[in-house]
Amino acid sequence: MNQRAIQMQLGIGAMLVAAFLMFYAIPNWVSSPTNIRNVVLSPRFWPYVLGGLTGLVGLGLVVFGRRMSASEAPLNEAIDDPRAGALRLMAMAVLMAVTFWALSRIGMVWTSMLSFAALAFLVRTRHPVTALVCAVLVPLLLYAFFAHVAGVAIPQGEFVRLP
Amino acid sequence: MTLRKIGATCVLGLGLIATTALAEYPERPINMVIPYGPGGATDISARAIAEPLGRAVGKPLVMSNITGAGGATGSVAVQNAKADGYTLLFARVGSHTVNPAMKATLPYTLDDFRFVTVYEINPVACAVRSDSGIETIEDLVAMTESEGTSYSSSGVGSMLHLAAVFVLDEFGVENPLEKATHIPQKGGGEAATAVLNGTVTFICTNTSALAGFVANGQLKPILVTTAEPVAGFDAPTAVDLGKPDLTQLVGWTGIAGPDDLPDDVAAKWGAWMIDAAGDPEFVAQMNALGSVINVMSPEEANSFIQQQYETFRALVDKLGMRVEG
Amino acid sequence: MSLIDSIMAGFSLVGNFEAFLSLAIGVVIGVIGGAIPGVSATMAVALALPFTFPMEAINGILLLLGVYKGGIFGGSIPAILIKTPGTPASSATVLDGHPMAARGEAGRALGMALWASCTADLISNLALILFAGWLASFALSFGPPEFFALILFSLTIIAGVSGDSLLRGALSALLGLLLATIGLDLIYGTNRFTFGDPSLMGGLNFIAVLIGLFAIPEIINTVWHPTGHIGTVQKLGSKWVTFAEYRRCFKSIVRGSFIGVFLGSIPGIGAAPAAFLSYSEARRKSPNKANFGKGEIEGVAASEAGNNGVAGATLIPLLALGVPGDVITAIIIGAFMVHGLQPGPMMFVMNVDIIYGLFIGLIFSSALLFVIGGLAIRGFKPAADIPKRILMPTVLVLCTYGVFAVNNNIFDVGVMFVMGWVGFAMGRYHIPAAPFLIAFILGPLLEDNFRQAMLMSGGSPEILLRGPITWFFWGLTALTVVAITRGTLDKARDKG
Repeated sequence: MNQRAIQMQLGIGAMLVAAFLMFYAIPNWVSSPTNIRNVVLSPRFWPYVLGGLTGLVGLGLVVFGRRMSASEAPLNEAIDDPRAGALRLMAMAVLMAVTFWALSRIGMVWTSMLSFAALAFLVRTRHPVTALVCAVLVPLLLYAFFAHVAGVAIPQGEFVRLP
Repeated sequence: MTLRKIGATCVLGLGLIATTALAEYPERPINMVIPYGPGGATDISARAIAEPLGRAVGKPLVMSNITGAGGATGSVAVQNAKADGYTLLFARVGSHTVNPAMKATLPYTLDDFRFVTVYEINPVACAVRSDSGIETIEDLVAMTESEGTSYSSSGVGSMLHLAAVFVLDEFGVENPLEKATHIPQKGGGEAATAVLNGTVTFICTNTSALAGFVANGQLKPILVTTAEPVAGFDAPTAVDLGKPDLTQLVGWTGIAGPDDLPDDVAAKWGAWMIDAAGDPEFVAQMNALGSVINVMSPEEANSFIQQQYETFRALVDKLGMRVEG
Repeated sequence: MSLIDSIMAGFSLVGNFEAFLSLAIGVVIGVIGGAIPGVSATMAVALALPFTFPMEAINGILLLLGVYKGGIFGGSIPAILIKTPGTPASSATVLDGHPMAARGEAGRALGMALWASCTADLISNLALILFAGWLASFALSFGPPEFFALILFSLTIIAGVSGDSLLRGALSALLGLLLATIGLDLIYGTNRFTFGDPSLMGGLNFIAVLIGLFAIPEIINTVWHPTGHIGTVQKLGSKWVTFAEYRRCFKSIVRGSFIGVFLGSIPGIGAAPAAFLSYSEARRKSPNKANFGKGEIEGVAASEAGNNGVAGATLIPLLALGVPGDVITAIIIGAFMVHGLQPGPMMFVMNVDIIYGLFIGLIFSSALLFVIGGLAIRGFKPAADIPKRILMPTVLVLCTYGVFAVNNNIFDVGVMFVMGWVGFAMGRYHIPAAPFLIAFILGPLLEDNFRQAMLMSGGSPEILLRGPITWFFWGLTALTVVAITRGTLDKARDKG
């Protein structure tokens, strides 16, 4: 992607978001009492202002983007194998979703151990043994600190509880 | 080294599972949710009782502030928790009588909680700026009727919001929502500041939040809602002024669990609270803030809260203050 | 009582070992707490509070003040080393501090952060001692219209942190403003984009958004390109900050300190906007403008001066009016009350010895911070040498614990993850993150104060120009907007 492509995509994206906000999201998802004396006091006033400004900025991006030359160098550093990269990103998204789901079910300590190990594996660490040791130790140490020094009720889950 | 550590952890874990089934409540730390931020009236009260209460319980109490949405976020966390007695809530007037009375979209009702006690009552006082020229509640009412006044609160559905309307309504202001403008602030501290810097005319809130300003002569109290005068507040009581209904308007802090909290847990808490609230240091600390310590039994607590809720609900319905969206 | 008597009375209170010990313990707790993301200065103060109840009043309060000051500095350590601000106030420090660390100059950045912090701390304390009464009465003349004008002006700093494209900066800010509208409406209590979820009703947690926006994209980037860092290995580096550099940045540090003092003495603004404002002013005035955001040491100095300048000044409204300037001082008020002290004008009459005792203690706190901060930098040094692909999982786990601890809510961890992807996408599209953050902080303030002002006036916009303070900030805003427009047009002409 070069400067111009980025600019155009962002501009069009911003205008679409603005349209979605103004015509669907704000009327449906922002509730407002019926007896408002002054329009500027309405809970919808500020979101509408922001929606409008987003549209304007999107327009600006498109206008300036059209003036840019298309031949500029790509902005993001290319990586060796974008397909493998995309797969890793997907794996990361899954990892986060699973982590979030597991936090309240099996507890923060065990979840963190698994997600630490999984992430270290995902980024292909050169120190697998160290990574495994850390995967066990870091969550335990953090647990000891937060639960016993800072007095935070770290979620423990329903299975194995730590003291 | 690592393997041994893992092994040790596993053994420890298994041991803990084994003990779960046998031991008697409480066999591990209890998570006490405070639905408001640090430094507020609920937080101070909760942390003050934590020490004597922890001694009475015999297990550590873990204090967790879960703030947001006027106490609703923390309350919901307890409403959805397992009713095993290991997650309890410091319920407050704002989250458990004013909010349910005012907000139609609140994700919980009073019936979702089982109260084990109400242990602290805070008187409410109304105050104005010392140089405002308002001397009495009659002055305030007259000013509201003639040119209109404004009051601050810590948000829509907070006790401060309802209190100001309640007082004006009791003193005969017709349609107080039109004549007095509500200018909500982000928190209790900001609400008091708004009176100081002249943004609003008056505020009605817990005496503990006003004591400093009153002692310094920055604010002048014009009314306290108790039957007895409050130390340090040179103002007539609601009973003196012939408005005994206003004595319903007090702040309180209590402890509640999810509605299916087992009976034996509730009974234990009753005993612990009587034990803890007798602690002279705790009582002195709370009295210094203007609070009255009075441990209610679960039945007393329930009828007290129900009565306050119904009073507030009647007022809200009469004036059409309910927030529907 | 004369001034000399008051000072002597103050000395007799704090001229003992325990007072200094409590101050030092406080600074240590603060630096460590601030350095752990999610613990932050606020939580460190809240945690230390119950321990001060049995202490002498003055010692207890000094301990808490030590935690406060230590915490604000401590936040810069992870901001520089792992791109995770330990405390919201240090988010501006990330902008230049982390690029310096990535270049192997973490030691230099941390050293400058410490020097700037201590200088600003000293200036802030002196301002408190000399101008408390005057600044306090000034702060009370800030009602909603004045706040609105001030915040409108503060939003112009977005232009200073937008990087190479103002429009993309504006887009970032708008995104921040939009996300900040989630939650209950302040004036009517109705729902905005909450979908009936009680966790959303409270709005998105600021720390979750902050960490999600800065720390998590770094992790996702490593996942996308695991070997990208090889060759630019991050180290603490042997280079330490030199006195010549300190002198070069001195002007920015002093300017930042005064910005901090000014914003700190007005209740309700907080340290993060002060740091950003100081940063953007330093950038505007610097000959090395182009280097800002790429590891310019003056940027670190300015940000740290801005946020530490706030730390003494928030005590001005606290002591002089009994009004807390931010969340942390709101907790500290609790400590005063428990000891039977009522901060406010009367305290200067009734407990003048405590006031002067605090002043003397505060002056020493800057020196203590210098010593303890220096030790802390050495203590956290190993963090800079951890291999990146071990560090990233550690950061992930640390942030999970930290973000949960802020509000004891697992939902916030989810917010952090989602914001991580938003931050990653923004990075791919070269949208700067700093405007987003500033807008997220200031947006609700702008809206709330605007609507409060409208409520006060019954809908008439005249109130927004009601006095000299509002005129001053409106004028400043107009000047800045003109300057930005001219700068942008000039740049466009140069290119075309």
